[in-house]
Amino acid sequence: MASGRIQVRVPKDLWDPSETEEGVIANWFCEDGAQVEQGATIAEVAVEKSTYDVIAPAAGSLTIAVPQDGVVQPGTVIAYIAMG
Amino acid sequence: MPSSRKLTVSRAMSEAIAQEMRADPQTFVMGEDVGAFEGVFDSTLGLLEEFGEERVRDTPISETGFIGAGVGAAMSGMRPIVELMFVDFIGVCMNAVYNLAAKNIYFSAGNCKVPMVLMTGTGGGYNDAAQHSQALHATFAHLPGLKVVAPSNAYDAKGLLTTAIRDDNPVVYMFHKGLQGLVWMASPAGAATEVPEESYTIPFGEARTVRSGRDVTIVAISMTVHGALAAAEELATEGIEAEVIDLRTLVPLDRDTVIESVKRTGHLVVADEDYRSYGLTSEVITSVVEAHPDYLKGPPQRVAMPDIPVPYSRPMEDAMLPNAERIASAARHTTGRG
Amino acid sequence: MSATKDDLLWMYAAMVKARYYEDTMATVYMEGKKPKFDIGAGLVPGEMHLAAGQEPCAAGVCVHLRNDDTVTAPHRPHHVAIAKGVDLNRMTAEIFGRVDGLGGGRGGHMHLFDPAVNFVCSGIIAEGAPPAVGAALGARMNGRDAIAVSYVGEGAPNQGGFHEALNLAGVWQLPVVFIIEDNSWGISVPKSKSTAVADNAIRAPGYAMPGVRIENNDVLTLYDAAADAVARARAGQGPTLIEVETYRYYGHFQGDPEIYRPKDEVKGLKAKDPIDRLYHYLMDNQITDSSDLEAIAQRCREEVDAAYAFARKSPEPAPEAALEHVFV
Repeated sequence: MASGRIQVRVPKDLWDPSETEEGVIANWFCEDGAQVEQGATIAEVAVEKSTYDVIAPAAGSLTIAVPQDGVVQPGTVIAYIAMG
Repeated sequence: MPSSRKLTVSRAMSEAIAQEMRADPQTFVMGEDVGAFEGVFDSTLGLLEEFGEERVRDTPISETGFIGAGVGAAMSGMRPIVELMFVDFIGVCMNAVYNLAAKNIYFSAGNCKVPMVLMTGTGGGYNDAAQHSQALHATFAHLPGLKVVAPSNAYDAKGLLTTAIRDDNPVVYMFHKGLQGLVWMASPAGAATEVPEESYTIPFGEARTVRSGRDVTIVAISMTVHGALAAAEELATEGIEAEVIDLRTLVPLDRDTVIESVKRTGHLVVADEDYRSYGLTSEVITSVVEAHPDYLKGPPQRVAMPDIPVPYSRPMEDAMLPNAERIASAARHTTGRG
Repeated sequence: MSATKDDLLWMYAAMVKARYYEDTMATVYMEGKKPKFDIGAGLVPGEMHLAAGQEPCAAGVCVHLRNDDTVTAPHRPHHVAIAKGVDLNRMTAEIFGRVDGLGGGRGGHMHLFDPAVNFVCSGIIAEGAPPAVGAALGARMNGRDAIAVSYVGEGAPNQGGFHEALNLAGVWQLPVVFIIEDNSWGISVPKSKSTAVADNAIRAPGYAMPGVRIENNDVLTLYDAAADAVARARAGQGPTLIEVETYRYYGHFQGDPEIYRPKDEVKGLKAKDPIDRLYHYLMDNQITDSSDLEAIAQRCREEVDAAYAFARKSPEPAPEAALEHVFV
């Protein structure tokens, strides 16, 4: 059984930072500390008026690193999932 | 341990529609920009992708045409969910709603059904001015033959929309744009809530007491529920305990819950984003007074948009909306504490 | 002209029945309203819009329809309801406001709903067109070849909802047939003063559908045009607009002093009565004989008389019944 802590990142190629510097976490869809399922939509990143869903890469307990309305770039770690 | 999942109101609405569309092939959606755009207010997320163009139909800008068509389709056995993008547009298509949808069951003594949902975006607070910021709750609630629903949060949004879709009567489902959780419009923190993954219904005509209190009853709907809760927190620091009731549906209206609360608190504030005169606030107050004039120990208060077109400029609009400050002030006034 | 003998006799019966129904209503409606016309008094209160003279519009189209085809009609509906097969007893009881009416007395003459034959009529001009489009949409989405027919008067093509309905039917290519009964009078305003065109059929290509104008209130040419339109719709080839030049013998509503109408207009119209013309066509072409036609007419009159008797006998509703059936 896999265990340990993995990072949840804004996908590195989600947008071109030379065009738009920043995105924001528009919504978290679970509370800090919640159990999440692999494949669940856990957050929404807004880049200007477009939105992107962030999917949990694994199941486990979620620790939010960047809160709602926090600024992010491609690659930013927004949360950790403690698996197992 | 089951995962707890929070959804925005718009995602909860879209999920309700998707689940009903999976369960019943007669259910379909039509409206302006509900397809590839997924609804200007995100009410139809993921639907075109899952169900295709036949069942998720972009319409021309013809509200009389496609809402009237919704009535005809509903009477022929379909379950249409028709979107009126902004409730303010009701002016161009009122006949289809209040003379057709609302009356055909009555005209036919129940031999015909009209299982249509008219979902529509309401509300202001983001500077869209008078023709795009109205609430118009009472406009629909006043006309017999329509059920009228206005959720304040994602959990209620999904349950009420599921109930609406399954209802064989016409239901006007009024979602506040500022509660949707849109990335381009701020929404209060309490709007997005935990939402069960499975399908569930919430009966119409059942208000929810979202905060208990002994000193004053604050009745609210849609966006004003959040203002009322914020006001209640402020009032608590002053020793005034407010009971906040979320009506959830205007028709049918849960008068009993309000009356029972006022019996205990003796004080009543009603908050509604719709215009002040001839509206929901008056209806709730009158419902208490005509049944139990003795319950009220202080003058009941209406906190609503004044009888003006909604102003554009931020300082004007912000001051005119029934916000937490005005609600708290009304509560102090009626309890004689300010 | 392609009508079979059965269809011809069916249309004859539908027209005779409708004419007798309307002429009977003209008399019955006045019971209790004299000496001074009081619209709210008497056996049949309220407004009354009679369609005597317009029978071809109903017969020539409905002859091609099935039970599961939807028809929406406006405030002058009786001839269409009869041709569609609406329950005549319950329709008449509804017009009388009685318990046994189609709506238990809640709708009256302008709001007749018979789901058994998918007939609906309603009083707001042009507003029956969008629901017909919706019924057609429902049929198409379910893979049924049922169609919808929307009846409007010649005033309706100037109302916004009519254009929206035609555009919607055109852009989605829905199985709708739009019938305009052009009796040339919008209450007191003639078509020439209200409508930018003399012939509404020319508006049709603007909505991606063919348009046809039938002259002279002729049931046989309408039969042919409607056959084509209905077949097109059923075959998934989209909507059609048909405007029929017709005429009403009575006023816009009963009690209408008709000051707007030239004195001898109705007399001139009756000289070319469409039922007489069909009668002569059937006789001249030896399709049947006069005793057969008289037997048909007799049966129609008996059915209508029975419907009126049924309505008279039906009880009035209790006042508190008004509170029922707001919702199902």
